[in-house]
Amino acid sequence: MRSLRKTIAGGALTLLATVLLGGLLSATLVRMAPGFSADERELDPHLNAQSVQALREAKQRDHNIVRFYFSYMNRALHGDLGTSLALGQPVRTLLRDRAPLTLRLLSTGLALAWILSLTLALTSAWLRLSIFDALTTIVSGTFLCIPAAVLALLSVLWNVPGSLAIALIVFPRSYRYASNLLMKAYSRPHIVAARSRGLGEARILFWHVVPVVAPQLLAVAGVSVSVAVGAAIPVEALCGLPGIGQLAWQAALARDLPLLVNITILVTLVTLLANSGADAMGQVVRGEEA
Amino acid sequence: MKQHDRGSKQLAYRCGSAIAVALICLGSLLGQLSAQSGELRFCLRAEPKTFNPLKVEEDSSGAIRYLTGGVLVRVNRQTQELEPGLAQSWKVSKDGRQISFRLRSGISFSDGTPFTAEDVAFTVQQLMDPALHSPTGDAFRSGTGNVETKVISPTQISIRFPSQVAGLDRLFDQVAILSQHSPKKEMAVLGPFMVADYKPGSEVLLKRNPNYWKIDEQGRKLPYLDSIRLDIQPNRDVEMLRFKRGELDLINSLDSEYFDKLAATSPQLAHDAGASLDSEQLWFNEVAKSPIPGYKKNWFRSANFRRAISEAINREDLSRVVFRGHAQPAMGPFSPANKFWFNPNLKPQTYSPDAAMKSLQSEGFRLENGTLKDKDGNTVVFSIITNAGNKSRERMAVLIQDDLQKIGIHVNVVTLDFPSLIERMTQSFDYEAIILGLTNVDLDPNGEMNVWLSSSDSHQWNPQQKTPETPWEAEIDRLMRAQASTSDLKKRKEAFDRVQEIVVEQQPFIFLVNKNALSAVSANVHGAAPVILSPQTFWNAERLSVPAK
Repeated sequence: MRSLRKTIAGGALTLLATVLLGGLLSATLVRMAPGFSADERELDPHLNAQSVQALREAKQRDHNIVRFYFSYMNRALHGDLGTSLALGQPVRTLLRDRAPLTLRLLSTGLALAWILSLTLALTSAWLRLSIFDALTTIVSGTFLCIPAAVLALLSVLWNVPGSLAIALIVFPRSYRYASNLLMKAYSRPHIVAARSRGLGEARILFWHVVPVVAPQLLAVAGVSVSVAVGAAIPVEALCGLPGIGQLAWQAALARDLPLLVNITILVTLVTLLANSGADAMGQVVRGEEA
Repeated sequence: MKQHDRGSKQLAYRCGSAIAVALICLGSLLGQLSAQSGELRFCLRAEPKTFNPLKVEEDSSGAIRYLTGGVLVRVNRQTQELEPGLAQSWKVSKDGRQISFRLRSGISFSDGTPFTAEDVAFTVQQLMDPALHSPTGDAFRSGTGNVETKVISPTQISIRFPSQVAGLDRLFDQVAILSQHSPKKEMAVLGPFMVADYKPGSEVLLKRNPNYWKIDEQGRKLPYLDSIRLDIQPNRDVEMLRFKRGELDLINSLDSEYFDKLAATSPQLAHDAGASLDSEQLWFNEVAKSPIPGYKKNWFRSANFRRAISEAINREDLSRVVFRGHAQPAMGPFSPANKFWFNPNLKPQTYSPDAAMKSLQSEGFRLENGTLKDKDGNTVVFSIITNAGNKSRERMAVLIQDDLQKIGIHVNVVTLDFPSLIERMTQSFDYEAIILGLTNVDLDPNGEMNVWLSSSDSHQWNPQQKTPETPWEAEIDRLMRAQASTSDLKKRKEAFDRVQEIVVEQQPFIFLVNKNALSAVSANVHGAAPVILSPQTFWNAERLSVPAK
């Protein structure tokens, strides 16, 4: 029990350190990016010298990145995530308003991707037909080659939901892993023997295959969350979906430091939690198996 | 029998007439009902940053201000003339420092709060707050000191500025009046529509203002529309796709490529209103402290060199190839579309590589094996930067590259994302030449005061000069200040005509083209008459109607 607590505490500390480091790195990169100190509004010929100066001074406030980051952390501890420079709204409000759409998009996309991947991978493992395997390899390979932005544009053109684009971006990655794992599992001598003795496919799958492949599949599922989060940026930006992905795109274009730091921290947190969750579940499954 | 027949005929005639009148009335009623309903739908290309009309600094917020804000006077986007709005009449004093308004009575804000002169005074005081730093407020700032407002009666007010403001009355076209007393603050409006709902990143819903004061010629209350749904859609491909699917009714500032595609399939939906006020221009870096080699600075600071480059650029080709004929070769700082302020004596810039070569030779440049060299033997090569993603600018840069190659000049075209480009242009001055555009919202040259004054930050080719570095810049400074310090329109015009001539002589900006105002309007929209001034398609939004779904 004590060691479990120690493990959890250690994991939480690692997670916190990684998230904070991710935020700091993001802030540093944005600060060093060309164009950080410029403001498009300076080009408005109506603005007089004092107003242009005020715009520049506002940008200078975030000039010292360490000072910015510590002041950000201090405010964040009190629930204030800052104000977006580009949109002029509190970051907290922006994230809160846009998170539901991204969550729906990601969960639907991931669910579709995994249903498709597992269905095809299982069928491939059961049938063991080289033609079927070749066909699925070609299909998944094709989707792997198509850039995420192209899939997003196609979804706009054909008026299909953005979640389908996410699913098709995640699918080839998850399918290859799932297929290989299942193939290997079904090649194990005891499973081959069980099948030859006429044991039901469902029993083989749930009693002999799932316990073997579950930990690795869960790990892949964790990774697929990161892939989906990455895919959400071009999909939301190109499909005009007002989620966190679109916000990240706008923030990057506008060098919006407060918004980018918060989104980086959020994405790091989601990715780490997904992977840690998958690892923990994998360990549980392994433990039960043992 | 005959009598009976005649009586029957009369009866039938009367019945027929009555039915006809009834049908006409019914038709008119139905027409009125259909005219006063429906939802117009179009896109904003970015999230509106504010709903406070005094803080507007970008197009999306500007569109909302135009649709919701009540103004004292309005520039008619079709005639370019000033028309009464909330003010029935107004008068600018001879010294150009004071303006007096007589307001309409019996008008209320959208929430029912009465509109009085106190609201105008409140709005002006808010607008002129130095801490606001708004482009609208800065346009009124011509000198130091406070603005004085004097409420004479609930329908009369005079506003006195510390020094003369040229074109003072026209500036009020951008000032949406706020309520001093409404608890809804800036959400209480006097314009035809009011903000009913805002879903960040998704849409802004405007509903008809029930207290809007205007009526049409038939005595019907304006606006005709029930609502306007503004979808926030940064992606122009998606915007066009949705227009084609019938999900949108209007598109402003259409790209010439999309325009031609639409015109090919549905010519009645594509509108070309002619040359707009917007210009596209190329300029060289003339900043003394810029980190570019000294010999290049010498080229760029030579008027002969700039004139030669201008003569070597084929503007007709730019219009024909890049804008598919939907642009006009630019003649100078102002487009001919600006009916009053354009200098009609300006001639189209001639394309003549031979004349360009002669100008360059007079400066000591020479051609060696097809490569131009300066008098010290330096190869003439420079880079043009422009903003990545702007297809027309990228294409213009490539055509200019080809044109200049003909006189032995090698040009590198570099595209940068906008923030990087602005940083180089305004802070590090690390560039050689830039292609960018100037979006003119104002008709009055005072709107460009900061572009032409040598001391200004927006004097792009060489900003923030302590004293004018060239005699012609000193002359432009003098002329711009002179035109701003008189309310005599003739004198102002003379001064600004001369500014235009100097700019064409000296070519600090090499004006390339004036783009046409292209737009798309769905067949569902009645009353649309796209114009060159912003907002092109919905300038008369209160008179637009779409059938109710």
